[in-house]
Amino acid sequence: MALNRKIAYIDLTTGDIQVKPIPIEIRKRFIGGRGLDAYLLYNHTEKGVDPLSPDNVLLISAGLLAATCASATTRTHVMAKSPLTGLLGSTNMGGFFAPELAWAGFHHLVIRGKAEKPCYLFIHDGEIEIRDAKNIWGRSTTETQWAIREELNDPEVKSLVIGPAGETLVRFANVMTGIKDSGGRTGMGCIMGSKNLKAVAARGTTDISIAYPEEALEFNKRFIDQIASSKVNQTQGTLGTPFIWGATNSWGGVRARNFQYNQCEYADDIEPERIDEIATETMGPHHMAGCFGCQVHCRARYKLPSGPYAGKYDEGPEYTALGAFGAMPDCRNAETVLTCNYLVNQYGMDVLETGAMISWAMELFELGILTSEQTDGLELRFGNDEALIEMISRICSRKGWLGDTLADGGIPASEKIGKNSFDYLVQVKGMNNLHSDERGTPALALNVATASRGSDHLRSRPAIDLYHLPEQVLRKIYSNPVPYDGPLSSDHTVYEGKPWQVFWQENCYMAVDCLGICKYHTVFLGPTHPNFEDWAKVIHYNTGLEFTPKDIWDAAVRGNTIERLFNLREGLTRNDLQKGDMLNHRYFDEPCLRGAPDVVGRKIDKDKFIQMIDELYEHKGLDKDGVPKPETLKKQGLEGEPSHRL
Amino acid sequence: MANEEISTAEALRKTRTYGKIRCHNPSCMGRLTPEAGQAHVKCPECGMEFRVHWIRPDFPRIRGPVWEVNRKIAEEALKKKEKDQ
Repeated sequence: MALNRKIAYIDLTTGDIQVKPIPIEIRKRFIGGRGLDAYLLYNHTEKGVDPLSPDNVLLISAGLLAATCASATTRTHVMAKSPLTGLLGSTNMGGFFAPELAWAGFHHLVIRGKAEKPCYLFIHDGEIEIRDAKNIWGRSTTETQWAIREELNDPEVKSLVIGPAGETLVRFANVMTGIKDSGGRTGMGCIMGSKNLKAVAARGTTDISIAYPEEALEFNKRFIDQIASSKVNQTQGTLGTPFIWGATNSWGGVRARNFQYNQCEYADDIEPERIDEIATETMGPHHMAGCFGCQVHCRARYKLPSGPYAGKYDEGPEYTALGAFGAMPDCRNAETVLTCNYLVNQYGMDVLETGAMISWAMELFELGILTSEQTDGLELRFGNDEALIEMISRICSRKGWLGDTLADGGIPASEKIGKNSFDYLVQVKGMNNLHSDERGTPALALNVATASRGSDHLRSRPAIDLYHLPEQVLRKIYSNPVPYDGPLSSDHTVYEGKPWQVFWQENCYMAVDCLGICKYHTVFLGPTHPNFEDWAKVIHYNTGLEFTPKDIWDAAVRGNTIERLFNLREGLTRNDLQKGDMLNHRYFDEPCLRGAPDVVGRKIDKDKFIQMIDELYEHKGLDKDGVPKPETLKKQGLEGEPSHRL
Repeated sequence: MANEEISTAEALRKTRTYGKIRCHNPSCMGRLTPEAGQAHVKCPECGMEFRVHWIRPDFPRIRGPVWEVNRKIAEEALKKKEKDQ
């Protein structure tokens, strides 16, 4: 059953491997997946550990419900101290790895040390081997996965791998599985590279018996019907995540030319419908695929129709790629977006960070802050598609002064470039912002400023704030499973009530990350999607564990608090522009110039924004400095952490 | 099992609408009901115009703005706001 999946402690320096059960009382407190990883990270790292040292631990996990009869329990979570931010590193991806890890007998891996030479782990039916990676080191992410399957003579092996960018220690190298399933944020691929760990391969055939199989299947039918019948998921199943682009770019919610504009005008060639046409042309009409146990099928498949990589197969692009390689560098050409998407997938680099770093450099070049000498003669201007593609390769191989500089991430790069380059770097906690522009949406601005892993939309974004939902609908969603009778507004431009929405979403997303469920199956883009009430039943039918919706909420709150404790220990201070809950000055100083009539002219009111942070801290039980109050820790049972109980 | 109480998410399902789209002006969000196959739609509330894509013959979605129209609306709105300040 799911509850007998184990935790393995692997020391790559000594080769020592220990396997332990996960006590039920720990499950009740942290559930699994990201929440339990946060507990393990806080307990197994020392304050101030160098992210690239052998003492940093790398955590890889499946959610509690992986490989059960619950829908879309596909997510793999990876955590460590981030080499990009020096704070919490955390990333989450779909695909097929997590269920395979669970079938192989494990839910959590705690990896420390550094192998003497490149290696990979092979995990199969309760066994863990450390194997020589000499035949796969240097290969692309896709080549690596095929090579492992050939070496192990098993086409069903699923692997988490790094590409060349992880090997060259690009600080935003990602971890990948499949063609495009990426644990992209916070540089977890760099951590694997620093440990000489090229891949983690899994193959499992052990049974995960379901506690109440008939009820689990019956309830899952209801769950699937709720998901599959929604408009948002039907659209997503046709166009993939880029479907979001049509809405956000219509009203002016997209960063363009780094952060100069909030809309990418006349970008018809990179609209999802155009990408869909290309995918249809190259892969046929049925070109959408899904992750394990998912009915949405948002994974578009395509072959590059033209250009230097014509005929190469890839998946995506995701919504984020349209921003990273379209709007931000102002390259409005489908071939360019698809080519860049292919390259970062093969190199193993974060789409968002790569596109944002290059777009920032483009703005610096146009301002004269970066010189031609520093770019080795490259005309790094907005709209220069060839320069964009060239810079991706230079970053991966750390080629030239600028390639090497950008590979170290935004803050170190700004220190090397100097002048006022940092002012143009749109980041929070050292991680670049998503390509969305939150100047017209205070709730979303609060989300990116306070997200635990740096600027991010998948930690606490109340995306439905843009749907203009009636207050009574908002109240039904946001007053459950804990009562809330404070303000809630359908108006996306106001500041009142938004901190509660961010707080609720933060706990909602932590909960699905603990369970291993995809966010497209909860209140992220669809207000009528399952949440706490539904998960309580899913957990019970599949594992036999009794959780009330409030128990799940409490565990999620606890997980978020322990992430906060980790960040505070590593130097987070509230107003620090590099390590705090604060936005780049451009949000407060530069108004939106494009978009819907109510969006143009908008910027974030700093005083009201600070009040929102105060209010969010109140909801989270933090003091004015953003530190958990003693009574908060006591209430959540965290006053003794780190407790070293697991 | 089948008789179990429906959850909040399931209860909210009746708020879904099919065949309609919302204006992409987030302060308007007017309901638009394009005719089958219609390529453009104009919001009667705020005047913004959009290009329409059909997921299925009964399932429209907004593909993107009619750039010239919406850009003009945005420029006028920005000018007015700057003047008011």
